[in-house]
Parts: sequence; C-alpha cells; structure tokens
Amino acid sequence: MPHVDQHLSGDWLEADESVRIRLVANDQELPVEAPPRCTLADALRDNGLKGTRLGCEQGSCGACTVLLDGRPVRSCLMLAVQAEGGRLETVEGLAAGGELHALQRAFHDHGALQCGFCTSGFLMLAAGLLREEPDAGRERIREVLSANLCRCTGGGPILQAVLAAQRELRGGRG
Amino acid sequence: MTSGYIGVSVERDDLAFLDGTACYVADVDREGQLYARVVRSPVAHARILDIDVAEALAQPGVVAVITAADIPETRIPIRLPMAETPYTHLFLQPPLAREVVRYVGEPVAVVVASDPYLAEDAAELVDVDFDELDVVSDILSATTQGTPLVHAEAGTNIVATVPLGYGDVEAAFARADVVIRDRLRMHRHTAVPMETRGLLAEMDHGTGVLTLWGAAKVKHFTRSALSSMLGIERHRIRLVENHVGGGFGVRGEPYPEDFLVAFLALRLGRPIKWIEDRAEHFVATNHAREQEHDLEIAATADGRLLAFRDRAWCDQGAYVRSQGILPALLPALHLPGPYRWEAFSVETRGVLTNRTPVGTYRGPGMTEATFVRERMLDKLAAELRLDPAELRRRNLIRPGELPFSFEPAPITYESGDFPAGFEHLLDEVGYDDLCKQRQVRRASGEHVGIGFAAYTEIGAIGPFEEARIVPRSDGRFVVHVGVASLGQGVETVLGQIAAEKLGVPMDAVSIDHHDTEKLADGFGAFASRSTTLAGNAVALAAEDLRAKAAARLDVPAGEIRFVQGQVREPSGRTIPLAEVGEGRGRFDKPHPTFSFGAALSLVSIDRETGLVKVLRHAVLHDVGRAVNPELLRRQLAGAASQGIGAALLEELLYDEYGQPQSTIMADYRMPTVEELPDIEVIVEERPNTANPLGVKGGGESGMVGTPAAIANAVADALGVEGARVWRLPLTPDRVREMLRHH
Repeated sequence: MPHVDQHLSGDWLEADESVRIRLVANDQELPVEAPPRCTLADALRDNGLKGTRLGCEQGSCGACTVLLDGRPVRSCLMLAVQAEGGRLETVEGLAAGGELHALQRAFHDHGALQCGFCTSGFLMLAAGLLREEPDAGRERIREVLSANLCRCTGGGPILQAVLAAQRELRGGRG
Repeated sequence: MTSGYIGVSVERDDLAFLDGTACYVADVDREGQLYARVVRSPVAHARILDIDVAEALAQPGVVAVITAADIPETRIPIRLPMAETPYTHLFLQPPLAREVVRYVGEPVAVVVASDPYLAEDAAELVDVDFDELDVVSDILSATTQGTPLVHAEAGTNIVATVPLGYGDVEAAFARADVVIRDRLRMHRHTAVPMETRGLLAEMDHGTGVLTLWGAAKVKHFTRSALSSMLGIERHRIRLVENHVGGGFGVRGEPYPEDFLVAFLALRLGRPIKWIEDRAEHFVATNHAREQEHDLEIAATADGRLLAFRDRAWCDQGAYVRSQGILPALLPALHLPGPYRWEAFSVETRGVLTNRTPVGTYRGPGMTEATFVRERMLDKLAAELRLDPAELRRRNLIRPGELPFSFEPAPITYESGDFPAGFEHLLDEVGYDDLCKQRQVRRASGEHVGIGFAAYTEIGAIGPFEEARIVPRSDGRFVVHVGVASLGQGVETVLGQIAAEKLGVPMDAVSIDHHDTEKLADGFGAFASRSTTLAGNAVALAAEDLRAKAAARLDVPAGEIRFVQGQVREPSGRTIPLAEVGEGRGRFDKPHPTFSFGAALSLVSIDRETGLVKVLRHAVLHDVGRAVNPELLRRQLAGAASQGIGAALLEELLYDEYGQPQSTIMADYRMPTVEELPDIEVIVEERPNTANPLGVKGGGESGMVGTPAAIANAVADALGVEGARVWRLPLTPDRVREMLRHH
C-alpha cells in the first residue's frame, strides 16, 4: 500500500483506495490505513480512539473536537490525510499518569455533563483554550465554549467547570 | 454510611464520560458487520412508479438493496392503549414506503455495503421514479374543503378528535363580565439529542437469539413490536441499551429503522450497523409540538376565571407513530392547568400533514397548553388592568380543595400547594424588586419585561414497573429495572433507593437497566416516571428481599442486616445471602400524578436588532420528595435551557411544497452558553400521597412553563404591541417587526 506522500506528486488515488497515513495521537504513533476521503474523526475512531464523538458531521456541534498542534479542530470536517505529521490530542490523552485533568474533575464537580456525548469535545476545546490563553476572562471563555453544543445542560455548568479548572490550573502555576 | 441515602445529593459516577471510555452504540462493533444506509424520499407526497436498484447493487462493496417489495406487509404499532383509537391503525407507518411516499425523509429503500462510505455512495444511485401529488403543508389547511389527502384510502386527514368537558360552559360564559378570544400557535421543533439514533443487530445462529444494540427508552415494547413485525418469538429477541447520548422523548421509540436493521440481520445472516446522520435525524426522528389553538376565556370583572373553550389543530405529521394520538391528547389534559375553572370544553384534533411524523418531546402537550393558556391569562390581566401575578393568585386551586378533580375529564390533582408554590417562586426571585428594576430600566429607554407561567405537569404514568434484586456471592446486589438511562442519572437515584432500603452501602449496589433479558417486563423512561415507578418497585423488591431473609432466620424484617454476603440477626446468627434467593417488587400506578410548577423570566429586547436576551430565568417544581436534589436540579435547569431554545431560536420550518428548511444544525439553532443565563432552580417537596416514597415526576418540568414565561416576558417588554405575541419562536426578525409599530 502506498504512503500518502507518494501521491502528492501526481498519481491520482481512487476514492476508496487506501493509503498509509502517519498520525501521532497523544504522543503515540497511530499508523492509519484509510482512503484519502476518510475524515480524521473516522480515522481516529476506526483506530481505537473512540472517545471522539460524532454528533453532526457538519462542523456545528463540536462533539468531535480534538487538538491538532494545540489548536482545536472539528475532526469531522478534516480529512485524516490533512493531519499527517501533526500532533493530535484526544480525550484519551487528557488524564496524565492515571490522574484526571483539572478539567475532568471540574466537569464532574459542576455537573457539566449528563449524557456525556458532547463531553469529549468540550474537554478538548477547553483544554486548548486554557493552555493557549491561561488568563482568558469569563467572557472570552464563554465565547469560545459557545462553539460547541450541549443539549442536556445548556452549557452554563460547563462554563462554571472551566472557570473552576482555570482557577486550579493558575493556582498550580503559583 | 449504610442508610440515609434518600434525599442526599449522592455524586453520580460519570468517569466513563470524562475519560472517553463511554460506549455508545456507534462504538459497538461486531465481527463481519455490514453497514446500512437508508434511501429517503426527497419529495413530500408522491406515488412511487418504479424503484431501480440495479446501479446501486452493482457498486463495489454493496451486498444488498431492499425495497418495500422485499419485506412483509407490516406497520409500526402504537405503544400506549390510551393513545390508540379504532381509526389510528389507518395511519400507521410501514418500515419502507409502499406505493406512496408521504413526507421528505420517508424510508424508500435500504442499501447494505461493506463500508459506510460505500453504502452512502450507492444509496445515491437508487433511482426512484416519483409521480408527485399535492401536498398538505400546514395544520389548518389539513381540514379544509378539497384539501389533498395524506392517506387517500382513509378519506380524511383527521386522526382523532379529543373532546374534554367539565361543568356548564354556556352558563359560565353567560355570567362573564369579560370574554377574550385569540389564536395562538406553538411551532414545530424537537429534541435534537447530541447523539443521533443508531442500531446494530446480530443473529446468534447458535442460540437463535437476535440482539439489537442501541435500544433506549422503551426497550421491552420495542422488543414486542419487533417480535410481531418480524414474526419471531419475544424471547428470541434481546434489546441492549448502551450509553445513550440524550433522549428527551424522541429516542428509543420503535422506528422504521429498528425493523429494517433487525430484518436485514436476519435476512443476510450478518451483523448490520446503522448510524443515523444528522441530516437524516432532522427528517427521520420524531418532530414535536406544532399546534394552533383557538382559545376563548371568560372571567369576572374582579379577575375570577370562569370558563374556557378551546379548539385546537395538532400536527401528527404524515403517519401516526408509536405514541399514537398523544400529540392531540396531552395538550387537552393540560389546558385547565392549576386553576379553579367552573367549566371548560376542549376539542383538540390530531391532523395529518405531509411532514415528518410527530411524537413526544420533553413536556409534550403540557408545554403547548401552558403556552396558550398563560399567554391568554396575561392578555386577560391586561384587559382587567390587573397585575398578572395577582390574577393567578386569585385563581390557583387552594390546598384545602385537594384532591381536586375535573371529572368527567380524567384530570385529578392529588397533592400539593399551588398558591404557596407560586408565592415561593415570586419570593425567591424578588418579584416586587424586579418590578421596580423594570420601572427604572424602562425609564432609561430599555425594553425589559417580566413574564411567568404556572402549570400542572403529568408524570408518573403507569401501568407498572417491576424490579429484581439479585444478591451475589461477593455480598453485592444487582438491581434489574425496566426503565432506561438517557443521561439523567437515574441509575444513581435508583441505587440510592436500593441501598437505603436494603441497609447497605451505595457501592454494594449496581443498577442494571441495560438488557431485556434480565427482566420480564418494563415500560421504560418517559413521562417523568422512572423515579416514581421504578423507584417504588425497587423499594418493594428490597423489602421483599429483607422479608425473605428475615423469614429464614425467623425474626422480624426490621432486625436483619446484610453484611458481607451474609444475613445477620441481632443475636449473631447468620445465613448466606445466596440462599435467600432474590427480591422482587412490582409497583402499579393506575393513575398518573400531576405536579405543580411555575417559571419566571426577565428579558430585555435590543431595539435595533429585535434580539431577545434572557436576563434571569427561574423554574420552580414540586417533586414530592427529591431523592437526589442535585441531580433533580440539573434536570430542571437542562429542561429550562431547552425551553429557552424553543422560545427564541429553534424551529423546524417547511415550505409550501413540504420541503424541510431546517436539516442541518446551522439552520436549526440551538442555544449555547452565549444565549443562556444561569438557570435558577427552586425545588419544592410536598410529598405525594399516592406512592410510598412520596415522589412525583421531575425530568420535564423545567421545560413546561419556560416558553410561556418567555413569551409573556417579551410581550411585557413590548408594551401595547405585546398583545401581538401569538406564536413562537420569538426570533429577532419577528420581534423587530413588532417593535416597528412601537
């Protein structure tokens, strides 16, 4: 099976002809064999990382949000081949060394989830934000969180949880 | 701690959702599975002249394509006897359209392929030749002379007429000082859970059992429905509930796809997986709510309600689905609300249109009825120059009048204190202060308004639930129940009840609601019934287990304890728990419970854009007894958030040809954290006398009064023009239109 790079110079691929794609997810190599039209979300899910959820496949709900080189992306709108060589982070990598991330604990404490389907996407969206903008104000956080949908809680408890996690993370930084 | 769990906010175990290990149906895979893609009608009403599947069948990876000609003549049955009439069977839906399609999205064929992408490609190539027919695109035109018929053979577009009456309406109207009449319309919208529907079916050729993953809500009924539709015995069908990404009434009913996926697994002998995509969801999964009411209210000059007359047209869509005539029945039951009417007469009609079928969405019927009644009460208050709060105060049924019945209408309020609840809400939000603030802000040119709604909510519908408590040799207890978990935390609540009644720690109890094999019968998770029905059944099963254990040791049931797999009595004698057998409980509930709720909203309107902002929103609910107050509060807040979306943003629009205009989330706008205030939740606990735990339903209440309260608040903010608020959602363009006349 050819590697996707081999085709960049001219040979056309059939829609369902698989290629090898080198993904790195949560600091681990994730060798993927998929057709070029395979979305990043499907590639992750088909290769064991099912914590990334698909809620609309239209880029609206944000349940499939993952981080690519630290930036949140809708993995339903991106092709797996586009993530070649990038550094991916998914919900499976959020807890470090068996200890939950501050955001995960805060989501639990603040009732920021009910059915849990949107949770992975919100966690990754918030993780990216708090790393990129650790001092983001309440309105900025609210604005960013409005990118995703939560039908069970409406999102208010999610905002509370992210603010609480931010307090903890800033405290930890001293 | 081994007791005292009921009434405590025990934390829910939600780790699997936080670390990504939760397993929804899309995450289940079976060896050798194939993927189904449903071909759906692109037109709202047409005769099917021909379906050519040859090209689709020739595509790579395609294993089969089926149409109505390949399946038995069968239709999806109605789940509730109360929602069935002698005529409803005329309008039941076949799994695949036969001869005629009646709404955009109706299943016409199914393509099965080795890969979901290939299945979707091939589905595009199924060639259906349609001869288009005239369309019924609105509820009012459904019943006019010469209208097209959605089901020609039935000869009518009226599914059912629900008449309800109480007292002498003519006499009450004759005595009225004031009569007001208006038309009000609740729009079409729906639940839109974040997880779409999905199913995976597999036949085990060794055992002869067909397993269907992806079940929810009413697993046991769906099993019965599939049994009769597929012609195989009930015990050879097993439905499994995985983690469920929200339900809110629409998920887990038997749909065409439940039959089709199971049928294909049998036919092809391979596991079949189907995951609904979001565009499908918007046309395939039940819609809700659309209805128009012609409501007339009679009152005295001092603001005493006398009587009302209501005629309503309630959309059923193109077929009657598993919930039968509930879209027409439930609003009728909720029009009187918590007020002391002398008389009323209601006639709601379920009518057919060439649009996606209608089912129930959180707070069904009651949300619509509360909107029309509470809007009219505000109009009446304006007419009488009375504070809308005062008008309600004067008419709420008093506690001394309970139990109160509107016989012969099947509406009985058993317990509660409606006036105290209403005052509680006004006190909590500081109504008098709020009115002063409104004055100040208006004086500075702002459009601000206050609105509220009081209502009754039907819940705890029977007929019964069963529970089994099975002790295990390691000292733990597995509790089998027939209700479903949709993310509301019911497993925590039932675990609390079991642990308290068994006298064991919470972590010794696990709740199993996943599998139809574990319990002979169950009615499921709807109508705010799980805690009342299954909760009382679990309590009875625990008592049964204690009684059986005590009998073995010949001591009173109150004296035994369950300790580390043993039953122990006070003098120290023990027997192994495993010898006791299992505890069984069944809780029968012949009558539903109505509970009281109220909502209050403070809104402002942007003069330039017409954008409504909800500044404060409070909901109050009498739950009888809160088993887990925090989880209940989250249910109320979540339901209210959906209600705000319904009032201001969400609408399933159709054009005159029956073409849906809202088939992606970008068109169907749901509220985010940007549009929502922090919801204020007030829980009242006035125990229900009709069940041992004293609980009432609570999962839907936050929705019921919210659209009404917001509509009233917007009307209040608009001043005189507010009288024109007669339909929802109050989108910026509609509000701006009314502001222009200001």
